[in-house]
Amino acid sequence: MTEDSEKMIVRIDCELEEIVPAYLENRRKDVVALSEMLEEEAFDAMRVLGHRMKGSGSGYGLDAISDIGNRLEQAAKDQSSADAAVCVAALDAYLGRITILYV
Amino acid sequence: MTTTDHILIVDDDPEICTLVSRFFEKNGFRVSAVTDGKGLWAILHQTTVDLIVLDLMLPDEDGLVLCRTLRASSNVPVIILSARGEDVDRIIGLEMGADDYLPKPFHPRELLARVRSVLRRTRGVPLPDKPGKGEEDVSYHFAGWVLDVPTRQLYSPQGEKIFLSGSEFAMLRIFLNFPNQVLSREQLLDYSYGKEGETYDRTIDMQVSRLRRRLKEDPKTPELIKTVRSLGYVLSARVEKNGGRA
Repeated sequence: MTEDSEKMIVRIDCELEEIVPAYLENRRKDVVALSEMLEEEAFDAMRVLGHRMKGSGSGYGLDAISDIGNRLEQAAKDQSSADAAVCVAALDAYLGRITILYV
Repeated sequence: MTTTDHILIVDDDPEICTLVSRFFEKNGFRVSAVTDGKGLWAILHQTTVDLIVLDLMLPDEDGLVLCRTLRASSNVPVIILSARGEDVDRIIGLEMGADDYLPKPFHPRELLARVRSVLRRTRGVPLPDKPGKGEEDVSYHFAGWVLDVPTRQLYSPQGEKIFLSGSEFAMLRIFLNFPNQVLSREQLLDYSYGKEGETYDRTIDMQVSRLRRRLKEDPKTPELIKTVRSLGYVLSARVEKNGGRA
């Protein structure tokens, strides 16, 4: 088993238990949307998604999503498809690895 | 603070609105959420709001302009919540009349603590060593100015009504309760923010600067709120307090 395939436990405030699953589902949809944006080089749309992920991720207890969002926003501003692709891959991998533990 | 305080969140990201709404509702608040400036005005025309959490990057209006417009007609407390987290953004936000500024990304518990802190201080929580009962009925008269506490209105010597933000009102009350006494920045911080406030000396300086402007002071030679070098600030005026219960 490679490190990337290992599960990662993320502890989140139990007061957010009702809304975190929908938030994560929306990020999975973002991965699909971002892949299309990458093909179309739709940097402005990527910047908006990155900006929103940066602003909301930590609030939901998911600091990595804020971090990826921050990097994605910058990649879109730089119009760097390569950097943006790295962010989309990182988001996809993160969503595949995490297990949420409500505390 | 009551458990029915009504918070209005203005943010173009629906997931931020959901997060703040759910978290604050679980902590006893009533919450309305809108995604633009138009929605903000619609809510304010419909109902009373105790505090506004305001994003700066809105689709229809700049949040800073909204904040300034709000402050010209209302003293509802405003906390700016924005991804524009540079120092200059914070300073401009506070200069525009916001009571606090929290950069994104943020933790909802920190936002909750700041909301409670702002509500507490803008409602004129009694100062240490001052009688609490009856303090809400008083008016202060100083150098021709009048601060009417029940209506939270400041009147100039010419009778002009001057709008104050929640934090400006709270700070002016502190000065009026301690006239002709030098108050250090630390004392002003303690009195206005309590122990929970993550506020800086510089914020006090900015608030004093804003308050001087409300009092139409010449910033170079202020007559009412004077700077005492290395020590802090002093309200230099005779203050008469009318009303209040014994």
